[in-house]
Amino acid sequence: MTDFTKENKELYDAMVAYKVPGITAAVEGARKAGMSATQIIDGLSAGMTQVGVLFERGKLFLPHVLSAAAGMKQAMTILDPELKASGETTAKKASVVMGTVEGDVHDIGKSICSTMLQCAGFDVHDMGRDVPKQTFIDEVKKGCTFCGMSALMTTTMTVQRDVISMLKDAGLRDKVVVMVGGAPVTQAYADKIGADVYGDSASETVAKVKDL
Amino acid sequence: MAANEYYTRMGDGKRVLMTKDQILADIQAGSADAADMGGIQALDDNDVEALLEIVCDRNRTVGVEPGKEVPLTYDIGQLDFTGDNGNSGNGVDMGRLEAALLHERALGADTFELAHSDYSIKPVKPVISMEMQTMEEIQNEIVIPYFYGAMPNMGLYYAPDGPYGNPADLMREFKIEEAMDQAEKSAQALARDIEYVATKIYDAGADGFNFDTTGAAGDADAVGTFNGVEKLRKACPNAYINVGMAGESVMGIHGSIEYDGQVVAGLYPHQQCKLAQKAGANVFGAVVNTSCSKSMAWNLARAVTFVKACTAVSGIPVHVNMGMGVGGIPMFETAPIDAVTRCSKAMVEIAKVDGV
Repeated sequence: MTDFTKENKELYDAMVAYKVPGITAAVEGARKAGMSATQIIDGLSAGMTQVGVLFERGKLFLPHVLSAAAGMKQAMTILDPELKASGETTAKKASVVMGTVEGDVHDIGKSICSTMLQCAGFDVHDMGRDVPKQTFIDEVKKGCTFCGMSALMTTTMTVQRDVISMLKDAGLRDKVVVMVGGAPVTQAYADKIGADVYGDSASETVAKVKDL
Repeated sequence: MAANEYYTRMGDGKRVLMTKDQILADIQAGSADAADMGGIQALDDNDVEALLEIVCDRNRTVGVEPGKEVPLTYDIGQLDFTGDNGNSGNGVDMGRLEAALLHERALGADTFELAHSDYSIKPVKPVISMEMQTMEEIQNEIVIPYFYGAMPNMGLYYAPDGPYGNPADLMREFKIEEAMDQAEKSAQALARDIEYVATKIYDAGADGFNFDTTGAAGDADAVGTFNGVEKLRKACPNAYINVGMAGESVMGIHGSIEYDGQVVAGLYPHQQCKLAQKAGANVFGAVVNTSCSKSMAWNLARAVTFVKACTAVSGIPVHVNMGMGVGGIPMFETAPIDAVTRCSKAMVEIAKVDGV
């Protein structure tokens, strides 16, 4: 079995350096060395996880995370023909509706979480900020099996509870994993309102969801 | 409650019982987190011991020794009374004059400020002449220094509230360069508006200006504010200018925008204070946000560690922000008095702040 330690490190380092040209160069180098598309994606994903950690520690910032995500997207475009030819699958893990609840315009944490979920292979429907309650319900009806709600104010965190009630009323609660997060939200509050997943950070949320 | 347990709080205000060992472990962990994030010294053994004593005090409220009190300043103006509980207020309607005099004569405020209900620079522009009139009227009654207060709140310059593209939307489409460009343009507009609003209100008799939650919309918001303060300082050399921040770390929404040759994203209080001073501030308002999922002991130790590093290097007085969700105080609409007094005492005695 070929040892790709060097190439994996290059993929990882390129993602952490978050520059699109560097990421595509690392992908091309890995292909030349004989790595398969899925091996390359795994290498990039490890780097992306570290990007999330560095963001949460204040060492990287939002444009850097999104630049890394753009590099990941570019890498997928390069690898897509090989994936199709080899029959390897890049099927999305699940569809996720994400949004900051209505009345709340705090966007950043939710956007980071959306980006990290996308990089982890989820099909993310990011509805933005100030998202009406009914929009979450509609997206679940359309097939989303994960529903992520962010609230950054004590006055809007109650909307998370309202949406869970609406999911119950619509007979959809058992069909969807409800994730909640945001500065005033805690595990205790998530338990109280009947959410399935509480994320203290974007990387924690992704780690929990990947394990489901 | 067992003999070795103490009433304390979680970061969301929930009352919990913890043993002294648990509180000590949280103090050490909170301080270590600040030291790691900020690249600063953790609290030493003496500070940890003093903090443990404050948190574990059996009395409901605590305080500093007579003679060791520090100035008490207020932000958000009259809104702490007139705002509802979603605005950190009490829902008690009153005029701005009455609120100012109440703070001066009943609540022990050493400074106070006039504020517009939107409490942001941009919405004040069209009503500045009315704000000037009110400033003049209240200055005729009040004795303590009376400022004008507002948040730079650069988010109001982005779509859908303002003329510039919203970086959050642009970055979602991977238009990163465009997002940075729009942030830079918004920062320039903010600096212009700060100069306009603040010089007008200064002409009407304001003793100075309080910029509250600087950097709330990220690093460009902080740069716009610093540039605005620089303009204001030139226009009004004797104005008293307080620059209060939005958090312990400046969010990198732009990521590389600079003030005075320094990238602002990711700066911590001990670095922020130097830029505020350079811009022309008289007082720096250090802010450390509270984590709802951690205990008050963890949050307070973390906050004290950041602020102590700030007061150690600041060339201007540091007035730490103490209130809902900042300075170790739980994020709860009515800040619990046991937490408020413990956190304030720790900031004065351990972090050595000049004011609260």
